[in-house]
Amino acid sequence: MEAFKFIQKKTIIHILDPRTKLLLAIIYSILAIIFEEIFILFFVFLSLFPFILAGQLFKKWIKSIRGMTFLFLLLIIFNTLFSTFSRSISMIIRIMIMVSSFSLFFLTVHPDDLMLSLLSLKVPYNIAFSFSLSFRFVPTIAIEAQNIIDAQKSRGYEMEQGGLISQARNLIPLLIPLIVCSLKRAFHIAESLDSRAFGSTKNRTYYYSIKYAKKDWLLTIILISLFIFGVIVKIFPEFLPTWFYWKLKV
Amino acid sequence: MEKKLEDLQILVNNLTYHYPDGTIALKGVNLNIYSGEIVGIMGKNGAGKSTLIKTFNGLLKPTTGVVYIENDEVNNVLMSKLTKKVGIVFQNPDLQLFANTVEDEIRFSLKNLNFTKIELENQISLTLEKFKLKKFQNRTPFTLSGGEKKRLAIASIMCRNPEIIVFDEPTIGQDAEGVKFIRNLIKEKHSEGKTIIIVTHDIEFAIDNIPRTILMADGLIIADGPTNKILSQDQILNIGYLISPQLIILSKFLIDLKIKVPEDVYIKENMVQFLGSYFKDKMGITEGGKP
Amino acid sequence: MNLIEFQNFCFRYDHSEDFVLKDININIDSGKFILMCGITGSGKTSLVRAMNGLIPQFYHGEIKGNVLVKGKNTKNVPTSTLSRDVGLVFQNPENQLIAMNVEREIAFGPENIGVPWDEMDSRIKECIKITDIEHLRKKAPFEISGGEQQRVAIASILALQPEIIIFDEPTSLLDPKSAIQILNLLKKILLEKKVSTIIVIEHRLDIVLPLADEIILVDKGRILEQGEAHNVINGEKFLNSGVNIPKCVSVFQQLMNQNIFSGKLPISIEETKNLINSIK
Ligand SMILES: Nc1ncnc2c1ncn2[C@@H]1O[C@H](COP(=O)(O)OP(=O)(O)O)[C@@H](O)[C@H]1O
Ligand SMILES: Nc1ncnc2c1ncn2[C@@H]1O[C@H](COP(=O)(O)OP(=O)(O)O)[C@@H](O)[C@H]1O
Ligand SMILES: [Mg+2]
Ligand SMILES: [Mg+2]
Repeated sequence: MEAFKFIQKKTIIHILDPRTKLLLAIIYSILAIIFEEIFILFFVFLSLFPFILAGQLFKKWIKSIRGMTFLFLLLIIFNTLFSTFSRSISMIIRIMIMVSSFSLFFLTVHPDDLMLSLLSLKVPYNIAFSFSLSFRFVPTIAIEAQNIIDAQKSRGYEMEQGGLISQARNLIPLLIPLIVCSLKRAFHIAESLDSRAFGSTKNRTYYYSIKYAKKDWLLTIILISLFIFGVIVKIFPEFLPTWFYWKLKV
Repeated sequence: MEKKLEDLQILVNNLTYHYPDGTIALKGVNLNIYSGEIVGIMGKNGAGKSTLIKTFNGLLKPTTGVVYIENDEVNNVLMSKLTKKVGIVFQNPDLQLFANTVEDEIRFSLKNLNFTKIELENQISLTLEKFKLKKFQNRTPFTLSGGEKKRLAIASIMCRNPEIIVFDEPTIGQDAEGVKFIRNLIKEKHSEGKTIIIVTHDIEFAIDNIPRTILMADGLIIADGPTNKILSQDQILNIGYLISPQLIILSKFLIDLKIKVPEDVYIKENMVQFLGSYFKDKMGITEGGKP
Repeated sequence: MNLIEFQNFCFRYDHSEDFVLKDININIDSGKFILMCGITGSGKTSLVRAMNGLIPQFYHGEIKGNVLVKGKNTKNVPTSTLSRDVGLVFQNPENQLIAMNVEREIAFGPENIGVPWDEMDSRIKECIKITDIEHLRKKAPFEISGGEQQRVAIASILALQPEIIIFDEPTSLLDPKSAIQILNLLKKILLEKKVSTIIVIEHRLDIVLPLADEIILVDKGRILEQGEAHNVINGEKFLNSGVNIPKCVSVFQQLMNQNIFSGKLPISIEETKNLINSIK
């Protein structure tokens, strides 16, 4: 989760309109999906670096990639077993591209701006608002979960080893308090929203607004060109020198 | 009370604790707690009180430094042994209640203590009796009132019969009845020779029930002494975000008036007695007469 | 004028057996700092829920009688509309802060009622100033202390400019000094006429009594007593109600029982000092 938690900073990437960054994440993900060639994926991946550096997110990003080591190992094992090693390498780069581009988005978009961009995409206010609300409460609920574990351990609860079923049963002392507390919390939040005029008029005003600036248009044009270029390459593979299509022999 | 080395029960030496996200919650804590003591831990939110007590039963492992519980260094002993010796009662009962019935809730706490079946049932019924929960035995914990839930949460720790009992903020939101229940429980456990540690903001509760207070600020212990001394020093109070209990303020006021007051008038009964004779004296009234 | 008027009001939650509010007939007028007290489960929270329509709109159940907020019946006017008249601040600030920074938090209420940008901006500035949280303006709720969170919660209710603000145990999670600071802030808001009446539910009577003009004493779902603070404190009902009696009150109460003292019980340290001075 750490990889997706917004950090307040004032870099050029943070200032960009959330929609531009969403576009970036989507276009990069599409590119990652349509290509399988290691080199092409690698270049796509490299081209994300300027954004990561400009957003001063390098450390966070390394952390999030490192956090996925286990997943990568699994990917290598399974892909090599059922397909090729080469395939597993491209799979890994693919996932790195998607994770990086989306964490770039979540790390630099204020959750409240996220709501505004959803609104500008004509998502109804209630849905957009609950989306930003869930972001707000992720850390709170994480702390509560930790407190529940602490409280149960203090009365002798042990995370048991054992079969899937007994492990699932063993989660009950944690899950039930978590559900109870979260429901209570949800009630309190709803109560407090009502008491703050939530939904009292259709003509809601907004203190903050998001604006597509020159730099957003510029980046949008670059991203779309990149996308078109990618599609062309996909359709006419001869467009690129053949070494781009090099594959590992295994 | 004379403190003897062999009675030393908790020893904390140069303890630091860093949370995984980098927060340094304890910065070098040194502390001795003796068997049978009642000790308060005070200090503003975020001072590190909860972090400190969580190292006592193994929930958190010291980053550096050592914590001894009796003869065991917490790093070298199984958590199950620590939680058996040190029982922590957390503030919010909702964090732990989950079972189908009140009885099962207690049973769960006794699960890993190697009781025989008969001992187990005995202990359950004894606990329910003692905490006046017998009549709810087969009810679900979720329909209990706030006060009853709190009693059940406390019972679910007390039934394990820990040597060291830690309360985190026991009096929050409690009315006089609830406070009295906790006061009596502490008295009772104290008379059984248990060691009791109470994390609290409640100065009036502390001055009445806790002889020794430790004040924490910013990951350190900044004062350790008799509660009435700690709660009467302005400088300490400022750092700890505390205020003086009413009767300490009053006794200081009397002293400023050059009135000779006994040292222990911070206790209500003593203040009543003192003011009683002072008033009689001033107004020259006779026993039972009104001014 | 009566801001809130209860007319023979009774309420039973859908899932509770008995009525939790019974025959409530009280009026809340303007210009007062009202303390509401009573033991846990006596019905204080339910009573304030009935003051802004959460009961019966959010919490359903059986109702008798009416509650009128500035003449509007809480059965017919939604809570979100009543919130312009009655603000509610809860015990746990954590659950009231829904935005990711303080400024947005305060803007939330005015946004909801469609306040134009310029006015919103000036309201935000004013609320930040009175609650003294300028330095927190861009901070997220989990970056600030409990006392600061509660200030933000207060600012964000003030921004709706209600006439009454009700606080349900606003300080119970705070350390004593922060608690005093919050209660003093409430008094300041009242004295500077940012609101016309304040109602506080509070367990720490020692620090809140000196601020109270009026006390409402709740017991088993009924109003046991409503009146001027000194009068209530000096009544039998209060002393036997099971609330935490402050030490100086209880010292003088015992002196009174021993016939050593007669007169009005002092409700604060200041009054106690004056009393001792007067005897000297
Ligand atoms: N799980 C956690 N992760 C990171 N930091 C924490 C965690 N729990 C507490 N802290 C931080 O550690 C410090 C001490 O906290 P705590 O021991 O809870 O204080 P207290 O109980 O005195 O209020 C605070 O700065 C708090 O924010
Ligand atoms: N949402 C609810 N549903 C059912 N019963 C409730 C609900 N909230 C409170 N009660 C009950 O109403 C009574 C009064 O509670 P409350 O108003 O919370 O008292 P107080 O705030 O004085 O502690 C209690 O018996 C409580 O159990
Ligand atoms: Mg704590
Ligand atoms: Mg309540």
